[in-house]
Amino acid sequence: MVFSNEMRDAAYYHYSPSYKYSLGIELVDEKKAMKNHANFRYTYLLNRKNTQNSQRNLYFQSSLSAGGNDENSYGFLGDWETRRYFIGFGAQKLKSNLRDYDKQFFQIGFSPYLGDYGDLHSWLMIKSKHDSRTDKWNSYPVIKFFKGDYLLEFGVDENNEPDIHFTIRF
Amino acid sequence: MRYLLFSILIVPSLALAEATMHTDHSNHGAHHSHEGHLHTQMVDGAEIQLDAERFDKFVADQSGSQIAVVSVIGMVCDFCARGIEKTFQKETGVKKIDVDLANGKVLIAYTAAAKIVNKDIEQKILSNGQTVTDIQILTAQSLIGRGFNNE
Repeated sequence: MVFSNEMRDAAYYHYSPSYKYSLGIELVDEKKAMKNHANFRYTYLLNRKNTQNSQRNLYFQSSLSAGGNDENSYGFLGDWETRRYFIGFGAQKLKSNLRDYDKQFFQIGFSPYLGDYGDLHSWLMIKSKHDSRTDKWNSYPVIKFFKGDYLLEFGVDENNEPDIHFTIRF
Repeated sequence: MRYLLFSILIVPSLALAEATMHTDHSNHGAHHSHEGHLHTQMVDGAEIQLDAERFDKFVADQSGSQIAVVSVIGMVCDFCARGIEKTFQKETGVKKIDVDLANGKVLIAYTAAAKIVNKDIEQKILSNGQTVTDIQILTAQSLIGRGFNNE
């Protein structure tokens, strides 16, 4: 996955030895600090419920930084989705050699049409992010497209800065 | 301005949601009234529900193949279901795969000689994040030309 916003560009690769957990490495370019470093991430599936028309997930996620501000984190991610609707949230505690802080986000969205397998799928979403350093919620619309093994999520936040995620499934 | 943009996105979504729920419900009713779906009775009395047109298209070039009709729950996203196709494509004896998101079905065409192990199918799909609720093995030869689309 490739991620970009006003603060950082990041490329993230993860491998799932089992559906229960995944291990990943994130290469980060801190644009404002002009520093590069790597984060090692561990994600564990705490709970999943599959039904005929929905899937619900709850994950624990942690990361250890090698370099940069030595920023380590842990937190939870959750989502519930159907073919039509999506709700997601996340809460993260981050500790660095500069200061400790929290981040939270919520994301809701819907798909305006139901595509078949292999079609181009589109989602309209609202994402809301909070950072305890500024104690402000930043909410903005997000558009998500996926087709085949490619997924693109694109949003522009309140500061008119892009928030882009691009994912390839290998 | 941003909140206006949110309203533009959210209000139609709720309206669409309401409309969709009614549509989905009516589709569910149609499902049971045999419109647009195939209900085929197995020798053991079990009934499997398939999209007739989709199934016929899938088996059209599969004469002699064994077809696993796998019922899956939690398969709500195309991008997430990609892993199912990738996993089975690697398996020896698998000729073709189709994922039907709307009906929660995965169709897998195996060679006539392939040994199909249900537990293995269940495990592969579980590894991708979904859950198997039923597996039926059919032979394409016995199904072609039985006029399912006319039922």
